[in-house]
Amino acid sequence: MKTLIIIPAYNEALNIEKTVKDVKENTDFDYVVINDCSKDNTKEICEKNHFNLLSLPVNYGLTSVVQLGMKYAYQNNYDVVIQFDGDGQHQAKFLKKLVKEIEDGNDVAIGSRFVTEKKPFTARMLGSRLISFAIKLTTWKTIKDPTSGMRAYNRKAIEYFIKNASLTPEPDTLVYLLKKKLKIKEVQVEMKDREFGESYLNPIKSAQYMINMLFSIIFIRWATKK
Amino acid sequence: MSLTLRILLIIISVISFILCVMRIKQSKLKIENSVVWMTGSILLILMSIFVDAVDWVSKKLGFMAPVNFVFLSVIIFLLIQTFINNIKMSLLNEKIKDLNHYIALQENKNKKEEK
Repeated sequence: MKTLIIIPAYNEALNIEKTVKDVKENTDFDYVVINDCSKDNTKEICEKNHFNLLSLPVNYGLTSVVQLGMKYAYQNNYDVVIQFDGDGQHQAKFLKKLVKEIEDGNDVAIGSRFVTEKKPFTARMLGSRLISFAIKLTTWKTIKDPTSGMRAYNRKAIEYFIKNASLTPEPDTLVYLLKKKLKIKEVQVEMKDREFGESYLNPIKSAQYMINMLFSIIFIRWATKK
Repeated sequence: MSLTLRILLIIISVISFILCVMRIKQSKLKIENSVVWMTGSILLILMSIFVDAVDWVSKKLGFMAPVNFVFLSVIIFLLIQTFINNIKMSLLNEKIKDLNHYIALQENKNKKEEK
C-alpha cells in the first residue's frame, strides 16, 4: 500500500534532522515534513537537506497541519497516512506494525502506550483517563491511549478528513470515526521523552484542551450520524 | 422613560447613524454590514420618540419598567450581532487556512518540477 508519513514541525530545528533520518532508515514509506511557519530555522534545515517539505506561510496550529497532510495524501493518491511527531518522541520502527493493522482491514491504527503496559497514575494520565471514559460513554468502545499522536489512517478515514474541515488530529475525531463505523485498533508502542524544545502544553493549555475535548465529544461528536 | 434617557438615546442613535454613513462614504464599511446598524439606530430613535407604544408593549410583556424593555432589546440586538460576527470570523478563518494550504502545496509542486 502506498503510505505517506506526515511529520508536523513547529520550531523543531534541533529534532527534525534526527526524526527524518529515523523515518528514512527504519521504513521505506514516503514522508512529508510540514513546517507550520516555525520561528527558528526549521525551514532552512529542511531545504538544506532536501527533505520533501510543505511550508506554511502563516502559523495555524497542528489541526491545520494534519489537514494539509491529508490533502497532500489525497491529491497524490496515497492509501495510508501516518501522523508522526517531529519532536523525537515517536520511533519509526513501530510504523510498520501500524500499517500492518491497516492492511489487515482496520481503518485507523493508533500507536498506543497502554495496550499491554499499565497507565500510570499521574496528573497527565488523569486527563487521558477522563477522555477514555468519555469515549467509552459515547461509543462503548475502549481506546486506552486516546491522546497518542502516532496514528495511521486508511483511504476511507482520509476522505472523511477531506470532506469535514472540523476534524482534528485529536481524540474527539476518534469518536466521530467510531460513530461512522470505522474500525480502530491500538498497537503497543514505546515513546521517548522529548530531548529538545518545548511542548505545546502548559497547565492552562492542558486544562483548556481537556475542556474542549470533553465538550466536543459529549455535545458534538456523540450526535454524529452514521 | 425619563426625558434625559430619551434625549440620550436619540443622541446616541443619531451619532451612530451619521458615523455609519460617513464610513460608507470613505468606503471603510460595506453597505451590507452597515444596514444592520442603521436599522438599529432608526429603531432606537423610534423607541425614544414613541414612548407610549413602548410603554404599552412593555406592560403587555410584563416588564417592571419600559426602560428595561429598551435595554433588553438592545442587548438582544448586540448578542445577535456578535454571534453573526463569530460565524463570519470562522468562515474567514477557514478561507485563510485554505489559502495557506494552497500556497504550501503549490510551492512543493514547483520545487519538484524544478528538479
